[in-house]
Amino acid sequence: MKQPEIDLTDLSRLRTGQAAHITGIHAPDDIRQRLQAMGLRTGREAQVIRCTRLGPMQIRVGSVDLIMRRRDAARVSIVAKK
Amino acid sequence: MPNTGKSTFFNRLTGSSSRVGNWPGVTVELLSARTILGNDAVEVVDLPGIYDLHGFSDDEQVVRSFLENNVVDQVVMILNASQLEHQLPLALQIYKLGMKPVLLVNMIDEADQLGIRIDAQALSKSLDCPVLPVSARNGTGLKEVRETLIEKLKSSQVLRPSELKAYLHADDELVAQAELLISRHVSSPSHLVRVMTERIDRVLLHPLFGLPLFFLAMFLVFQAVYTLGAPLQDAVAYLLELFRSWALEPLASVLPATLYGFLVDGLYDGIGTVASFVPVIILFFFLMAIIEDSGYLARAAYLTDALMARLGLDGRGFVMLLMGFGCNVPALMGTRVMRSRSLRLLSMLVIPFSLCSARLQVFIFITTALFTPKQAPVILFFMYMASFAAAFLTALLFGRRLKSDEPFVLELPPYRSPVLFQVLMRGWHEISHFLRRASTFIITGVVLVWWLTHYPEGATPGGEGTYASMLGAWLRPVLEPIGISAVMSVVLLFGFVAKEIVIGAIVAMTGLQGAALNSYLATQMDAVQAISFMLFILLYTPCLSTLATQLNESRSWQFATVSLAWSLGLAWIVSFGFYQGARLLGY
Repeated sequence: MKQPEIDLTDLSRLRTGQAAHITGIHAPDDIRQRLQAMGLRTGREAQVIRCTRLGPMQIRVGSVDLIMRRRDAARVSIVAKK
Repeated sequence: MPNTGKSTFFNRLTGSSSRVGNWPGVTVELLSARTILGNDAVEVVDLPGIYDLHGFSDDEQVVRSFLENNVVDQVVMILNASQLEHQLPLALQIYKLGMKPVLLVNMIDEADQLGIRIDAQALSKSLDCPVLPVSARNGTGLKEVRETLIEKLKSSQVLRPSELKAYLHADDELVAQAELLISRHVSSPSHLVRVMTERIDRVLLHPLFGLPLFFLAMFLVFQAVYTLGAPLQDAVAYLLELFRSWALEPLASVLPATLYGFLVDGLYDGIGTVASFVPVIILFFFLMAIIEDSGYLARAAYLTDALMARLGLDGRGFVMLLMGFGCNVPALMGTRVMRSRSLRLLSMLVIPFSLCSARLQVFIFITTALFTPKQAPVILFFMYMASFAAAFLTALLFGRRLKSDEPFVLELPPYRSPVLFQVLMRGWHEISHFLRRASTFIITGVVLVWWLTHYPEGATPGGEGTYASMLGAWLRPVLEPIGISAVMSVVLLFGFVAKEIVIGAIVAMTGLQGAALNSYLATQMDAVQAISFMLFILLYTPCLSTLATQLNESRSWQFATVSLAWSLGLAWIVSFGFYQGARLLGY
């Protein structure tokens, strides 16, 4: 069987080095506003630079590096590149 | 915008010294400074760095209400040259409000190194407002900025944004517009690689070694403060002594004995001893400034977030605790970047337990007087551990009542080498801060304690029969069980106002210095009592300014009262436990 080309999931499920396109943010208005203002916007590419089991993840969006908790990364839905 | 070098630019433009840190949201008070542009004196106000004009954090509200309620001649926006795609939307928001901002594309040197090319002239034409490439760190482009501002201010009409909210919906349009502008006027390599930063991070953010390295770094900072600070402190003490014997004593010898005692043994020695700690404090802030400027604090937040999450706080809370090691007041104000009120309150409850530089002075003073040079650093280290323990315990106990769903998202800036100019500014800032405190309540406190310990007439100074010993007797039921003598309890009473008074007061009331003072202190307390005294000093309210800041920032009497009662109660219980426990064990 052939693997599907794309995979719909959320940002917290990516592993170190993987990149994906952001498709939306699922959070109350105020939190979404904040995440968007920091560069997490639909259509942009996000790459996981660093993640550990317990601590926050390091995400690169364009020229900005962000650190965010897995819990918050789970609010960002993505289309992962295979 | 946070992390764009806004405060550095502000300092360059005005020559003033606002605090600068490579940490989102350091500038939380509205700093303003007057400067001359052309032939006019203008007032420059440094607003908090924000990402968004209509966000929900206190910082963003501060900017919004400032723009709504103040008459502004000219808005200057500082953008980070290598992050324009994230920053132009805010510029467009400002533009939409009917203000024509002057855009400074800062850190142009950094962008250059990364291979980002910005066509400032074309961008300026498209935006219909000046766009100037600058580097606030090196000062390049600042002359042009001054010229542009002079030009703009000549022709400017006073701006009153009428309807702010009406504009704030067309956000997505603005982002699209920003992206169009970027694609036209900025060219950047498809993948930005910050080689140095990534190399350093591979070590400093290592999953296993990152945290130990962080603690090692902190330990080295305090070690450096202690070893480098001690000779400096001796030097200042020597100079003050020299001034005393060469100038002050001959001049004051014509005065009556009481007045002489008051001026020379009381006031001069009291304040002088406090002043001798200034080099230690400056050194401490130099090192803190270097760490802040370098970008390491955001890494500290990354490393400690997992631990802080368990305590109901987040990585930013830990960084505020670290900043509290300098002074609790700016650390408390730094919590304004938090959106959730309960997270903010919890952080503000925890911060007063971080061992600030004023308390460090007291501990260095007492440990050098009563312990051997080998024991002293160990006890100091123990105090820092106790400070963390009290903070964590507080977070654990109150965290259940103050839960929050605040997202933890933070920018991780690239490492930057600290700018000497900034670090020096910071040192000057600390000296002037000390002089302000010294000229107000340290003098008042020292004078009052001197009076209490020398009157009524005929009492033995610092001994029985003075007002101080009467007050001490009154406090005895509370403070005797924790091993604090009557005289020392009066000192504690004044330490409530500011911890610097404690040292000045001890010197002023005894009229002693050096070895004589040390042996006097030894009659007042033994090792166990001294540690109990220090634990109490560590935990009970840091100072009046901290309490006032807590009240101002929380806008809640209830919160300030709870915080005060909790810290007093905890201080007493911990000192009681330590003192009685040690006595039971036969020490």
